[in-house]
Amino acid sequence: MIEVKNVTKKFGRKEVLKGVSFTAEKGQITCLIGINGVGKTTIMQAIMSLIPINSGEIFIDGSKLTKDSYEKITFIPDTITMPPQMRIGDAFAFMADFYQSWNQKRAEELLEFFKLEETERISELSKGNTAKVNILLGLALDVDYLLMDEPFSGIDIFSREEIANVFTSHLIEDRGVIITTHEINDIEHLIDKVVLIDNGVVLKEFHVEEVREKEGKSVIDVMREVYES
Amino acid sequence: MNRYLKLVNFEFNRFFKLYIVLVIVTIIMQIFAVIVESRGYMREAKNVIYGDMMSKADFIKNYEAFTMQRVVQSNWFYWSIALCVVVLLIYVFFIWYRDWLGKNSFIYRLLMLPTARLNLYFAKATAILIFVFGLVALQLLLFLIEMQIMKWIVPAEFRVDLPIKEYTDFNYLSVILPGSLIDFLLFYGMGIVAVCVTFTAILFERCYRLKGIIFGISYGLVSVGFFLMPLLIDTFVLNYYFFPVELFVMEVIAGIIVLIGAVWIGNYLLKYKIRV
Amino acid sequence: MNVKFNNRDPVYVQVVRYFKEQIAKGFFEPGQEIPSRRELAHRLKINPNTAQRAYKEMEEQGLIFTEGNLPSRITKDEGVLKKVRKELIMEAVETFVHSVRTINVPLEEVLYIVKEYYEKADYVRGNTHD
Repeated sequence: MIEVKNVTKKFGRKEVLKGVSFTAEKGQITCLIGINGVGKTTIMQAIMSLIPINSGEIFIDGSKLTKDSYEKITFIPDTITMPPQMRIGDAFAFMADFYQSWNQKRAEELLEFFKLEETERISELSKGNTAKVNILLGLALDVDYLLMDEPFSGIDIFSREEIANVFTSHLIEDRGVIITTHEINDIEHLIDKVVLIDNGVVLKEFHVEEVREKEGKSVIDVMREVYES
Repeated sequence: MNRYLKLVNFEFNRFFKLYIVLVIVTIIMQIFAVIVESRGYMREAKNVIYGDMMSKADFIKNYEAFTMQRVVQSNWFYWSIALCVVVLLIYVFFIWYRDWLGKNSFIYRLLMLPTARLNLYFAKATAILIFVFGLVALQLLLFLIEMQIMKWIVPAEFRVDLPIKEYTDFNYLSVILPGSLIDFLLFYGMGIVAVCVTFTAILFERCYRLKGIIFGISYGLVSVGFFLMPLLIDTFVLNYYFFPVELFVMEVIAGIIVLIGAVWIGNYLLKYKIRV
Repeated sequence: MNVKFNNRDPVYVQVVRYFKEQIAKGFFEPGQEIPSRRELAHRLKINPNTAQRAYKEMEEQGLIFTEGNLPSRITKDEGVLKKVRKELIMEAVETFVHSVRTINVPLEEVLYIVKEYYEKADYVRGNTHD
């Protein structure tokens, strides 16, 4: 389980996170929802220790993040994390070199599934394909937790469908996933939990099926309610 | 250790193409230097001997025999070294900043590697060292080649064949190619310390951005100040109290302290303060 | 499996309902093997935990059964199957009566209209089957 406890973060004078707390369970897909700039990416970067936080604590399976944690948790930001002149095959070699949790076979399967070649250069890929390779680099790691930042942003609808397919496949099963997006429509049926963020704090944290059952409301209904108050 | 070496290999490879270009340009410039200087000398000899009817011996007495000193003091040679120094100096900075550039934020990947972040620091420092020593080795090799070329163009009576040490013991060359082992360790040791201090200053900027530039520069100045402290105190406060040997030892210790400081602070910044 | 889910009812409830419909229509035969939870999640494009919940619910309602480690199957119990059919019919009837009752019309007339429409629809369906 990933626990975020009362995390605050300032960028210069601007307070972006004013005490964010929530949990994300393993085996569940948790979605962080909020308007652009509210701090969803900041939260993920904080979990991964890619930025320092001002106060608060973050625990992954009960302990703070260490260098070995990167074999258990990975982050897929909305830009690709490989040098542009690298070929996909080189990127695989790099990952295999450094990560014990790299699953070369799965990487190759995914590459085939996405219809891409190892010889293609990252700088020459289309936006949709870059997003796919980026996601691939995360999915091919046998990690317990996957953080994905806007995996659907700016890509065509068919690529989006392909990516949504990934969420219902064995590739995600049993892992803990935190995803941010503002395309809720694409994934309402795929997520377990929603964390609504506004103004630097968590407005509401709920399990979607529970709310559907008890209140007959969709995620968007809840959002409307919460943002209006 | 393993991941450190892999990182060194990675850092080496990503600069390699540019490095080879630099090497080739240096070779061309220096070969050019030796040819231009040698043939220039011979042309002058011909003019004076056949034109002005001076004897060979007189010419050599008046115009001095040709030595590698002329090559080494020529513009082409100087600029070949200057080019290498400038490129490497820029790369000391660029080796860090390139990871943050552009849409492909490779720094994310580097910071998420399952290895101590200090290894990133060490790998980059090691890479710079390898490049520097590579150029030093290249220079020594080039000297051998240039001396041979010189021998092909300038006949024996017109030249004096000096050992490398003798024509490299002036100004900047004595620093890059020191004559003694002690000097070598000293100068390149200081170079390593300087690179590390620079790295840490860069990390200050990367952690704190605008404020970080001030932190970085201040830190740099403090490091330099600390390093010079034994010398400064001896000169201005104690009025040359210490023996040179004692000063030397103190300076080495000061250097080591500055180095440890740079690495420790760099590690702290990378672990707790860095931001993508 | 092309199912459209709405966002307001619990998805697992909608999945169970879908199964009941398929059973009542005869598309899912008694004893027929059904896909694994994971496979179902993938085909329906839903969260695997939801598929899991749906299966649990169906197992509890007796709609499916699982023998040991074998894949789950639709129940062969006639009693359950009949109950499912009746349930769906009752639902349709309830909805119909509810919406028609507000339009003050006598029962015989309504039944007559229903019979006519039903037979016409049958006839059309019969034709298109050739």
